[in-house]
Amino acid sequence: MDDVVAVPAAEIPTWWGVVASFALVALAALVSWRVRLGLTRELVWVALRALVQLVAVGLLLGLVFEFGGLATAFGWLAIMVAIGGQVAGRRARGLPGAVRVATIAVAFGAVATMGILLLLGIIDATPMVVIPVGGMVISWTMVATGVALRRVRDSVGSSRDRIEARLALGLNPTQAYEQQRRDAVRTALLPAIDSTKVVGLIALPGAMTGLILAGVEPLAAIRYQIVVMYMLLAGPALAAATATWMAERDLFDSAQRLRRFSVPAGSS
Amino acid sequence: MAVSQIPTNGGVNPTFQLQDVTVKHNGRAVLEHITVDIPRGGVTAVVGPSGAGKSTMLRILNRFEDPSQGRVTFAGAPMSSHDPALLRRRVGLLSQRPVALAECVADDLRVGAADLSDSDVTQLLSRVDLAELSLGQGTAGLSGGELQRLALARALAVEPSVLLLDEPTSALDSEAAGAVDQVARDLVDQGGTVVVVSHDLDRVRRIASHVVVLRRGRLVEHGSPQELGYSDVDKGNVDG
Repeated sequence: MDDVVAVPAAEIPTWWGVVASFALVALAALVSWRVRLGLTRELVWVALRALVQLVAVGLLLGLVFEFGGLATAFGWLAIMVAIGGQVAGRRARGLPGAVRVATIAVAFGAVATMGILLLLGIIDATPMVVIPVGGMVISWTMVATGVALRRVRDSVGSSRDRIEARLALGLNPTQAYEQQRRDAVRTALLPAIDSTKVVGLIALPGAMTGLILAGVEPLAAIRYQIVVMYMLLAGPALAAATATWMAERDLFDSAQRLRRFSVPAGSS
Repeated sequence: MAVSQIPTNGGVNPTFQLQDVTVKHNGRAVLEHITVDIPRGGVTAVVGPSGAGKSTMLRILNRFEDPSQGRVTFAGAPMSSHDPALLRRRVGLLSQRPVALAECVADDLRVGAADLSDSDVTQLLSRVDLAELSLGQGTAGLSGGELQRLALARALAVEPSVLLLDEPTSALDSEAAGAVDQVARDLVDQGGTVVVVSHDLDRVRRIASHVVVLRRGRLVEHGSPQELGYSDVDKGNVDG
Protein backbone atom coordinates (compact mmCIF):
# COMPACT_ATOMS: atom_id res chain seq x y z
CA MET A 1 0.00 0.00 0.00
CA ASP A 2 3.05 2.26 -0.35
CA ASP A 3 2.62 3.36 -3.96
CA VAL A 4 -0.73 5.08 -3.62
CA VAL A 5 -1.28 8.08 -5.81
CA ALA A 6 -2.63 11.12 -4.03
CA VAL A 7 -5.32 13.23 -5.56
CA PRO A 8 -6.47 16.54 -4.08
CA ALA A 9 -8.09 15.74 -0.72
CA ALA A 10 -11.63 16.84 -0.03
CA GLU A 11 -12.32 19.54 2.50
CA ILE A 12 -12.85 17.91 5.93
CA PRO A 13 -15.86 19.33 7.83
CA THR A 14 -14.96 21.88 10.50
CA TRP A 15 -16.36 21.61 14.03
CA TRP A 16 -18.89 24.22 12.97
CA GLY A 17 -19.89 21.87 10.12
CA VAL A 18 -20.33 19.03 12.59
CA VAL A 19 -22.60 21.18 14.75
CA ALA A 20 -24.54 22.28 11.65
CA SER A 21 -25.00 18.62 10.63
CA PHE A 22 -26.99 18.20 13.83
CA ALA A 23 -29.77 19.77 11.79
CA LEU A 24 -30.13 16.33 10.15
CA VAL A 25 -30.75 14.77 13.56
CA ALA A 26 -33.30 17.49 14.25
CA LEU A 27 -34.97 16.62 10.95
CA ALA A 28 -35.20 12.93 11.91
CA ALA A 29 -36.51 13.93 15.35
CA LEU A 30 -39.10 16.15 13.70
CA VAL A 31 -40.30 13.24 11.55
CA SER A 32 -40.44 11.01 14.64
CA TRP A 33 -42.43 13.65 16.54
CA ARG A 34 -44.88 14.34 13.68
CA VAL A 35 -45.53 10.63 13.00
CA ARG A 36 -45.64 9.92 16.76
CA LEU A 37 -43.01 7.19 16.59
CA GLY A 38 -42.10 7.75 20.21
CA LEU A 39 -38.43 7.76 19.20
CA THR A 40 -37.69 11.52 19.31
CA ARG A 41 -35.87 11.53 22.62
CA GLU A 42 -33.94 8.35 21.73
CA LEU A 43 -32.85 9.76 18.36
CA VAL A 44 -31.40 12.89 19.97
CA TRP A 45 -29.84 10.88 22.78
CA VAL A 46 -28.08 8.37 20.49
CA ALA A 47 -26.83 11.18 18.23
CA LEU A 48 -25.31 13.04 21.19
CA ARG A 49 -23.95 9.84 22.66
CA ALA A 50 -22.31 8.93 19.33
CA LEU A 51 -20.75 12.39 19.18
CA VAL A 52 -19.24 12.06 22.66
CA GLN A 53 -18.05 8.51 22.00
CA LEU A 54 -16.40 9.41 18.72
CA VAL A 55 -14.69 12.53 20.11
CA ALA A 56 -13.35 10.49 23.02
CA VAL A 57 -12.17 7.72 20.69
CA GLY A 58 -10.63 10.28 18.32
CA LEU A 59 -8.64 11.83 21.16
CA LEU A 60 -7.54 8.42 22.43
CA LEU A 61 -6.58 7.25 18.94
CA GLY A 62 -4.47 10.39 18.53
CA LEU A 63 -2.62 9.53 21.74
CA VAL A 64 -2.12 5.88 20.74
CA PHE A 65 -0.87 6.79 17.26
CA GLU A 66 1.49 9.36 18.76
CA PHE A 67 2.84 7.50 21.79
CA GLY A 68 1.57 3.89 21.76
CA GLY A 69 3.16 0.88 20.12
CA LEU A 70 1.72 -2.25 18.55
CA ALA A 71 1.04 -3.75 22.01
CA THR A 72 -1.21 -0.81 22.83
CA ALA A 73 -3.03 -1.34 19.52
CA PHE A 74 -3.66 -5.01 20.32
CA GLY A 75 -4.77 -4.04 23.82
CA TRP A 76 -7.27 -1.67 22.18
CA LEU A 77 -8.54 -4.52 20.00
CA ALA A 78 -8.84 -6.79 23.05
CA ILE A 79 -11.15 -4.24 24.69
CA MET A 80 -13.18 -4.08 21.45
CA VAL A 81 -13.47 -7.88 21.46
CA ALA A 82 -14.69 -7.86 25.08
CA ILE A 83 -17.31 -5.21 24.28
CA GLY A 84 -18.27 -7.00 21.03
CA GLY A 85 -18.71 -10.28 22.92
CA GLN A 86 -21.00 -8.60 25.44
CA VAL A 87 -23.12 -6.99 22.72
CA ALA A 88 -23.35 -10.15 20.58
CA GLY A 89 -24.06 -12.32 23.63
CA ARG A 90 -26.88 -10.05 24.76
CA ARG A 91 -28.49 -10.46 21.34
CA ALA A 92 -29.08 -14.08 22.33
CA ARG A 93 -30.19 -13.51 25.92
CA GLY A 94 -31.52 -16.69 27.44
CA LEU A 95 -29.20 -18.98 25.49
CA PRO A 96 -26.95 -20.80 27.99
CA GLY A 97 -23.43 -19.29 28.06
CA ALA A 98 -24.24 -16.76 25.32
CA VAL A 99 -21.84 -13.97 26.40
CA ARG A 100 -18.92 -16.34 26.97
CA VAL A 101 -19.50 -18.13 23.67
CA ALA A 102 -19.90 -14.83 21.79
CA THR A 103 -16.72 -13.34 23.27
CA ILE A 104 -14.63 -16.37 22.34
CA ALA A 105 -16.16 -16.51 18.83
CA VAL A 106 -15.57 -12.79 18.16
CA ALA A 107 -12.00 -13.15 19.46
CA PHE A 108 -11.34 -16.18 17.28
CA GLY A 109 -12.77 -14.53 14.14
CA ALA A 110 -10.74 -11.39 14.77
CA VAL A 111 -7.46 -13.09 15.69
CA ALA A 112 -7.59 -15.50 12.73
CA THR A 113 -8.45 -12.78 10.20
CA MET A 114 -6.00 -10.20 11.52
CA GLY A 115 -3.35 -12.88 11.94
CA ILE A 116 -3.55 -13.82 8.26
CA LEU A 117 -3.51 -10.17 7.14
CA LEU A 118 -0.47 -9.39 9.29
CA LEU A 119 1.46 -12.64 8.73
CA LEU A 120 1.11 -12.37 4.95
CA GLY A 121 2.16 -8.72 5.12
CA ILE A 122 -1.08 -7.58 3.48
CA ILE A 123 -1.50 -4.75 5.97
CA ASP A 124 1.10 -2.77 7.90
CA ALA A 125 1.75 -3.80 11.48
CA THR A 126 1.33 -0.28 12.84
CA PRO A 127 -1.30 1.04 15.27
CA MET A 128 -2.62 3.41 12.60
CA VAL A 129 -3.57 0.38 10.45
CA VAL A 130 -4.16 -2.35 13.03
CA ILE A 131 -6.75 -0.43 15.08
CA PRO A 132 -9.13 0.72 12.30
CA VAL A 133 -8.84 -2.51 10.29
CA GLY A 134 -9.20 -4.63 13.44
CA GLY A 135 -12.17 -2.50 14.45
CA MET A 136 -13.91 -3.28 11.17
CA VAL A 137 -13.26 -7.01 11.54
CA ILE A 138 -14.48 -7.05 15.15
CA SER A 139 -17.56 -5.01 14.30
CA TRP A 140 -18.64 -7.42 11.56
CA THR A 141 -17.77 -10.56 13.53
CA MET A 142 -19.78 -9.14 16.43
CA VAL A 143 -22.86 -8.64 14.26
CA ALA A 144 -22.55 -12.09 12.64
CA THR A 145 -22.01 -13.77 16.03
CA GLY A 146 -25.02 -12.01 17.53
CA VAL A 147 -27.25 -12.96 14.61
CA ALA A 148 -26.01 -16.58 14.62
CA LEU A 149 -26.53 -17.09 18.36
CA ARG A 150 -29.93 -15.40 18.31
CA ARG A 151 -30.96 -17.63 15.44
CA VAL A 152 -29.69 -20.70 17.34
CA ARG A 153 -31.67 -19.65 20.40
CA ASP A 154 -34.88 -19.09 18.45
CA SER A 155 -34.70 -22.10 16.15
CA VAL A 156 -33.60 -24.55 18.86
CA GLY A 157 -36.38 -23.21 21.09
CA SER A 158 -39.00 -23.73 18.39
CA SER A 159 -37.55 -27.07 17.19
CA ARG A 160 -37.21 -28.77 20.58
CA ASP A 161 -39.55 -31.59 19.50
CA ARG A 162 -37.55 -32.19 16.31
CA ILE A 163 -34.20 -32.18 18.08
CA GLU A 164 -35.49 -34.55 20.77
CA ALA A 165 -36.95 -36.82 18.07
CA ARG A 166 -33.48 -37.05 16.48
CA LEU A 167 -31.83 -37.72 19.85
CA ALA A 168 -34.44 -40.43 20.49
CA LEU A 169 -33.23 -42.18 17.32
CA GLY A 170 -29.73 -42.38 18.81
CA LEU A 171 -28.28 -39.41 16.95
CA ASN A 172 -25.64 -37.50 18.90
CA PRO A 173 -26.11 -33.78 19.70
CA THR A 174 -23.97 -32.68 16.74
CA GLN A 175 -26.22 -34.62 14.35
CA ALA A 176 -29.43 -33.69 16.14
CA TYR A 177 -28.61 -29.96 16.04
CA GLU A 178 -26.99 -29.88 12.60
CA GLN A 179 -29.94 -28.32 10.73
CA GLN A 180 -30.40 -25.52 13.27
CA ARG A 181 -26.66 -24.84 13.32
CA ARG A 182 -26.35 -24.70 9.55
CA ASP A 183 -29.37 -22.44 9.29
CA ALA A 184 -27.94 -20.06 11.93
CA VAL A 185 -24.56 -19.73 10.19
CA ARG A 186 -26.24 -19.14 6.82
CA THR A 187 -28.46 -16.43 8.27
CA ALA A 188 -25.48 -14.76 9.95
CA LEU A 189 -23.46 -14.68 6.73
CA LEU A 190 -26.18 -13.36 4.44
CA PRO A 191 -25.51 -9.65 5.20
CA ALA A 192 -21.78 -10.04 4.42
CA ILE A 193 -22.54 -12.02 1.25
CA ASP A 194 -25.20 -9.55 0.10
CA SER A 195 -23.04 -6.50 0.70
CA THR A 196 -20.13 -8.19 -1.13
CA LYS A 197 -22.46 -9.02 -4.02
CA VAL A 198 -23.49 -5.41 -4.61
CA VAL A 199 -20.25 -3.73 -3.57
CA GLY A 200 -19.68 -0.62 -5.70
CA LEU A 201 -23.08 -1.00 -7.39
CA ILE A 202 -25.34 0.36 -4.67
CA ALA A 203 -22.92 2.09 -2.35
CA LEU A 204 -19.24 2.86 -2.17
CA PRO A 205 -17.98 0.94 0.83
CA GLY A 206 -16.58 2.64 3.91
CA ALA A 207 -12.86 2.02 3.59
CA MET A 208 -12.80 3.05 -0.05
CA THR A 209 -14.90 6.14 0.65
CA GLY A 210 -12.59 7.15 3.47
CA LEU A 211 -9.46 6.78 1.34
CA ILE A 212 -11.00 8.70 -1.57
CA LEU A 213 -12.05 11.50 0.77
CA ALA A 214 -8.51 11.54 2.15
CA GLY A 215 -7.20 12.12 -1.38
CA VAL A 216 -6.12 8.59 -2.38
CA GLU A 217 -6.51 7.75 -6.07
CA PRO A 218 -9.66 5.56 -6.60
CA LEU A 219 -7.84 2.50 -8.03
CA ALA A 220 -5.51 2.45 -5.04
CA ALA A 221 -8.46 2.85 -2.68
CA ILE A 222 -10.14 -0.11 -4.37
CA ARG A 223 -7.18 -2.38 -3.60
CA TYR A 224 -7.62 -1.65 0.06
CA GLN A 225 -11.36 -2.14 -0.21
CA ILE A 226 -10.97 -5.57 -1.80
CA VAL A 227 -8.77 -6.71 1.08
CA VAL A 228 -11.29 -5.29 3.57
CA MET A 229 -14.16 -7.00 1.76
CA TYR A 230 -12.48 -10.40 1.85
CA MET A 231 -11.60 -10.09 5.51
CA LEU A 232 -15.22 -9.15 6.23
CA LEU A 233 -16.27 -12.44 4.69
CA ALA A 234 -13.70 -14.48 6.63
CA GLY A 235 -14.14 -12.92 10.08
CA PRO A 236 -17.93 -13.35 10.33
CA ALA A 237 -17.79 -16.85 8.79
CA LEU A 238 -15.20 -18.02 11.32
CA ALA A 239 -16.98 -16.33 14.22
CA ALA A 240 -20.48 -17.58 13.35
CA ALA A 241 -19.21 -21.15 12.81
CA THR A 242 -17.28 -21.04 16.10
CA ALA A 243 -20.20 -19.56 18.04
CA THR A 244 -22.73 -22.14 16.83
CA TRP A 245 -20.25 -24.98 17.37
CA MET A 246 -19.49 -23.83 20.92
CA ALA A 247 -23.18 -23.25 21.65
CA GLU A 248 -23.75 -26.99 21.18
CA ARG A 249 -21.75 -27.70 24.34
CA ASP A 250 -24.01 -25.45 26.38
CA LEU A 251 -27.24 -26.56 24.72
CA PHE A 252 -26.77 -30.26 25.53
CA ASP A 253 -25.77 -31.90 28.80
CA SER A 254 -23.46 -34.85 29.35
CA ALA A 255 -26.35 -37.31 28.89
CA GLN A 256 -26.92 -35.82 25.41
CA ARG A 257 -30.16 -34.10 26.36
CA LEU A 258 -31.28 -30.70 25.16
CA ARG A 259 -31.22 -28.34 28.15
CA ARG A 260 -34.28 -26.27 28.90
CA PHE A 261 -33.78 -22.52 28.60
CA SER A 262 -36.21 -19.65 28.53
CA VAL A 263 -36.05 -16.52 26.43
CA PRO A 264 -36.46 -13.38 28.57
CA ALA A 265 -39.53 -11.30 27.75
CA GLY A 266 -38.93 -8.62 25.15
CA SER A 267 -35.95 -10.32 23.51
CA SER A 268 -37.76 -12.60 21.12
CA MET B 1 -18.19 -40.85 28.31
CA ALA B 2 -19.22 -44.26 29.58
CA VAL B 3 -19.23 -47.07 27.06
CA SER B 4 -22.38 -49.16 26.92
CA GLN B 5 -22.15 -52.62 28.37
CA ILE B 6 -25.07 -53.76 26.24
CA PRO B 7 -24.43 -56.13 23.40
CA THR B 8 -26.04 -55.35 20.05
CA ASN B 9 -29.70 -56.15 19.41
CA GLY B 10 -30.86 -59.55 20.45
CA GLY B 11 -28.04 -60.26 22.91
CA VAL B 12 -29.72 -59.40 26.21
CA ASN B 13 -33.38 -59.10 27.12
CA PRO B 14 -33.63 -55.67 28.66
CA THR B 15 -35.24 -54.97 31.99
CA PHE B 16 -35.82 -51.67 33.68
CA GLN B 17 -35.75 -51.43 37.43
CA LEU B 18 -36.88 -48.28 39.18
CA GLN B 19 -35.93 -48.09 42.84
CA ASP B 20 -37.40 -45.32 45.00
CA VAL B 21 -37.43 -42.95 42.03
CA THR B 22 -38.47 -39.34 42.54
CA VAL B 23 -38.48 -36.78 39.73
CA LYS B 24 -38.96 -33.09 40.39
CA HIS B 25 -39.75 -30.35 37.89
CA ASN B 26 -39.03 -26.87 39.26
CA GLY B 27 -39.13 -28.25 42.79
CA ARG B 28 -42.48 -30.00 42.30
CA ALA B 29 -42.50 -33.80 42.47
CA VAL B 30 -43.81 -35.31 39.23
CA LEU B 31 -42.96 -38.86 40.30
CA GLU B 32 -42.55 -39.82 43.96
CA HIS B 33 -40.84 -42.86 45.45
CA ILE B 34 -41.63 -45.18 42.55
CA THR B 35 -40.28 -48.71 42.92
CA VAL B 36 -41.27 -51.00 40.07
CA ASP B 37 -39.77 -53.46 37.58
CA ILE B 38 -40.58 -53.36 33.87
CA PRO B 39 -40.44 -57.05 32.95
CA ARG B 40 -38.45 -58.46 30.06
CA GLY B 41 -40.54 -59.03 26.96
CA GLY B 42 -44.26 -58.34 26.83
CA VAL B 43 -46.18 -55.12 26.81
CA THR B 44 -46.22 -52.99 29.94
CA ALA B 45 -49.00 -50.42 30.00
CA VAL B 46 -48.54 -47.31 32.13
CA VAL B 47 -51.96 -45.92 32.95
CA GLY B 48 -53.34 -43.13 35.05
CA PRO B 49 -55.07 -39.77 34.77
CA SER B 50 -53.48 -36.65 33.26
CA GLY B 51 -50.64 -35.37 35.42
CA ALA B 52 -49.95 -38.81 36.89
CA GLY B 53 -46.33 -38.76 35.63
CA LYS B 54 -46.76 -41.36 32.87
CA SER B 55 -44.79 -39.49 30.19
CA THR B 56 -42.07 -38.60 32.70
CA MET B 57 -41.69 -42.30 33.50
CA LEU B 58 -41.14 -43.05 29.80
CA ARG B 59 -38.58 -40.23 29.51
CA ILE B 60 -36.61 -41.77 32.38
CA LEU B 61 -36.41 -45.05 30.49
CA ASN B 62 -34.54 -43.54 27.51
CA ARG B 63 -32.69 -41.08 29.77
CA PHE B 64 -34.34 -37.95 28.52
CA GLU B 65 -34.70 -37.30 32.23
CA ASP B 66 -32.77 -38.39 35.29
CA PRO B 67 -34.43 -38.93 38.67
CA SER B 68 -33.76 -36.34 41.34
CA GLN B 69 -33.56 -39.26 43.75
CA GLY B 70 -33.47 -43.04 43.46
CA ARG B 71 -31.93 -45.42 40.97
CA VAL B 72 -32.86 -46.69 37.52
CA THR B 73 -31.17 -49.64 35.84
CA PHE B 74 -31.43 -51.03 32.33
CA ALA B 75 -30.25 -54.57 31.58
CA GLY B 76 -28.88 -54.71 35.14
CA ALA B 77 -26.63 -51.68 34.80
CA PRO B 78 -27.27 -48.12 36.04
CA MET B 79 -28.57 -45.76 33.36
CA SER B 80 -25.51 -43.52 33.73
CA SER B 81 -23.22 -46.39 32.71
CA HIS B 82 -24.80 -46.63 29.26
CA ASP B 83 -23.72 -44.43 26.39
CA PRO B 84 -26.81 -42.22 25.87
CA ALA B 85 -26.89 -42.47 22.05
CA LEU B 86 -26.43 -46.27 22.10
CA LEU B 87 -29.06 -46.59 24.82
CA ARG B 88 -31.54 -44.62 22.69
CA ARG B 89 -30.88 -46.82 19.67
CA ARG B 90 -31.83 -49.78 21.87
CA VAL B 91 -34.72 -48.03 23.58
CA GLY B 92 -36.84 -46.26 20.95
CA LEU B 93 -39.35 -43.57 21.88
CA LEU B 94 -42.46 -42.47 20.04
CA SER B 95 -43.41 -39.19 21.64
CA GLN B 96 -46.88 -37.78 22.13
CA ARG B 97 -46.25 -35.02 19.56
CA PRO B 98 -44.76 -36.72 16.50
CA VAL B 99 -42.93 -34.49 14.01
CA ALA B 100 -41.54 -34.99 10.51
CA LEU B 101 -37.75 -34.83 10.35
CA ALA B 102 -37.28 -34.74 6.58
CA GLU B 103 -39.10 -33.41 3.54
CA CYS B 104 -40.06 -36.77 2.05
CA VAL B 105 -41.21 -40.04 3.58
CA ALA B 106 -38.16 -42.16 2.66
CA ASP B 107 -35.67 -39.55 3.91
CA ASP B 108 -37.65 -39.31 7.13
CA LEU B 109 -37.27 -43.03 7.80
CA ARG B 110 -33.55 -42.79 7.03
CA VAL B 111 -32.81 -40.10 9.64
CA GLY B 112 -31.76 -42.73 12.17
CA ALA B 113 -30.95 -45.52 9.70
CA ALA B 114 -29.10 -44.01 6.73
CA ASP B 115 -28.49 -47.32 4.95
CA LEU B 116 -32.16 -48.32 4.72
CA SER B 117 -32.95 -49.67 1.22
CA ASP B 118 -36.09 -48.67 -0.68
CA SER B 119 -37.59 -52.11 -0.02
CA ASP B 120 -36.85 -51.71 3.72
CA VAL B 121 -38.69 -48.40 3.60
CA THR B 122 -41.68 -49.97 1.82
CA GLN B 123 -41.76 -52.80 4.36
CA LEU B 124 -41.68 -50.41 7.30
CA LEU B 125 -44.50 -48.34 5.82
CA SER B 126 -46.59 -51.52 5.45
CA ARG B 127 -45.93 -52.48 9.07
CA VAL B 128 -47.50 -49.23 10.26
CA ASP B 129 -50.38 -49.37 7.78
CA LEU B 130 -48.98 -46.60 5.55
CA ALA B 131 -48.47 -48.75 2.44
CA GLU B 132 -50.38 -46.20 0.37
CA LEU B 133 -47.62 -43.61 0.79
CA SER B 134 -44.97 -43.36 -1.92
CA LEU B 135 -41.32 -43.10 -0.94
CA GLY B 136 -40.91 -39.62 -2.37
CA GLN B 137 -44.15 -38.28 -0.92
CA GLY B 138 -43.76 -35.03 0.98
CA THR B 139 -44.23 -35.15 4.74
CA ALA B 140 -45.71 -31.65 4.90
CA GLY B 141 -49.20 -32.76 3.83
CA LEU B 142 -49.50 -35.78 6.13
CA SER B 143 -52.36 -35.89 8.63
CA GLY B 144 -51.71 -36.14 12.37
CA GLY B 145 -52.44 -39.87 12.33
CA GLU B 146 -50.16 -40.49 9.34
CA LEU B 147 -47.41 -38.49 10.98
CA GLN B 148 -47.75 -40.54 14.14
CA ARG B 149 -47.39 -43.80 12.22
CA LEU B 150 -44.50 -42.38 10.17
CA ALA B 151 -42.74 -41.53 13.45
CA LEU B 152 -43.40 -45.09 14.63
CA ALA B 153 -41.90 -46.51 11.41
CA ARG B 154 -38.89 -44.21 11.91
CA ALA B 155 -38.43 -45.56 15.43
CA LEU B 156 -38.69 -49.15 14.13
CA ALA B 157 -36.10 -48.43 11.40
CA VAL B 158 -33.41 -48.27 14.10
CA GLU B 159 -34.42 -51.79 15.23
CA PRO B 160 -34.80 -51.08 18.96
CA SER B 161 -35.27 -53.95 21.36
CA VAL B 162 -37.45 -51.78 23.61
CA LEU B 163 -40.13 -49.46 22.27
CA LEU B 164 -41.60 -46.69 24.42
CA LEU B 165 -44.95 -45.47 23.09
CA ASP B 166 -46.46 -42.30 24.54
CA GLU B 167 -50.22 -42.25 23.75
CA PRO B 168 -49.46 -43.75 20.32
CA THR B 169 -53.06 -44.06 19.14
CA SER B 170 -54.41 -40.71 20.30
CA ALA B 171 -54.68 -39.36 16.72
CA LEU B 172 -55.56 -42.65 15.01
CA ASP B 173 -58.79 -44.28 13.85
CA SER B 174 -59.47 -47.81 15.09
CA GLU B 175 -57.95 -49.49 12.01
CA ALA B 176 -54.69 -47.55 12.24
CA ALA B 177 -54.62 -48.07 16.01
CA GLY B 178 -54.94 -51.80 15.35
CA ALA B 179 -51.84 -51.60 13.12
CA VAL B 180 -49.90 -49.94 15.94
CA ASP B 181 -51.01 -52.67 18.35
CA GLN B 182 -49.85 -55.26 15.82
CA VAL B 183 -46.43 -53.59 15.67
CA ALA B 184 -46.23 -53.88 19.47
CA ARG B 185 -47.21 -57.57 19.36
CA ASP B 186 -44.69 -58.32 16.58
CA LEU B 187 -41.90 -56.69 18.55
CA VAL B 188 -42.81 -58.75 21.62
CA ASP B 189 -42.94 -61.94 19.48
CA GLN B 190 -39.37 -61.16 18.42
CA GLY B 191 -38.31 -60.97 22.08
CA GLY B 192 -38.65 -57.22 22.43
CA THR B 193 -40.27 -55.15 25.16
CA VAL B 194 -42.93 -52.49 24.72
CA VAL B 195 -43.86 -49.88 27.31
CA VAL B 196 -46.98 -47.99 26.36
CA VAL B 197 -48.66 -45.01 27.99
CA SER B 198 -52.37 -45.14 27.30
CA HIS B 199 -55.68 -43.75 28.40
CA ASP B 200 -57.52 -46.42 26.42
CA LEU B 201 -58.57 -49.21 28.82
CA ASP B 202 -59.84 -51.50 26.06
CA ARG B 203 -56.49 -51.27 24.40
CA VAL B 204 -54.68 -51.99 27.68
CA ARG B 205 -56.82 -55.10 28.14
CA ARG B 206 -56.06 -56.21 24.57
CA ILE B 207 -52.30 -55.88 24.47
CA ALA B 208 -50.83 -55.44 27.96
CA SER B 209 -49.16 -58.26 29.84
CA HIS B 210 -48.24 -55.98 32.73
CA VAL B 211 -49.92 -52.83 34.00
CA VAL B 212 -48.43 -49.99 36.07
CA VAL B 213 -51.02 -47.67 37.59
CA LEU B 214 -49.92 -44.17 38.55
CA ARG B 215 -51.82 -41.37 40.18
CA ARG B 216 -50.46 -37.93 41.07
CA GLY B 217 -46.91 -39.16 40.63
CA ARG B 218 -47.32 -42.12 42.94
CA LEU B 219 -47.50 -45.82 42.15
CA VAL B 220 -51.01 -47.11 42.90
CA GLU B 221 -50.22 -50.70 41.97
CA HIS B 222 -48.78 -52.93 39.29
CA GLY B 223 -49.15 -56.47 38.03
CA SER B 224 -50.82 -58.46 35.27
CA PRO B 225 -54.20 -57.21 34.03
CA GLN B 226 -55.71 -60.38 35.44
CA GLU B 227 -54.15 -59.81 38.87
CA LEU B 228 -55.34 -56.23 38.98
CA GLY B 229 -58.72 -56.73 37.36
CA TYR B 230 -60.47 -53.94 35.49
CA SER B 231 -61.75 -52.41 38.68
CA ASP B 232 -58.18 -52.07 39.96
CA VAL B 233 -57.14 -50.31 36.81
CA ASP B 234 -60.09 -47.99 37.35
CA LYS B 235 -58.54 -47.00 40.68
CA GLY B 236 -56.21 -44.83 38.65
CA ASN B 237 -59.21 -42.90 37.32
CA VAL B 238 -58.16 -43.76 33.82
CA ASP B 239 -60.06 -41.80 31.22
CA GLY B 240 -61.92 -43.64 28.50
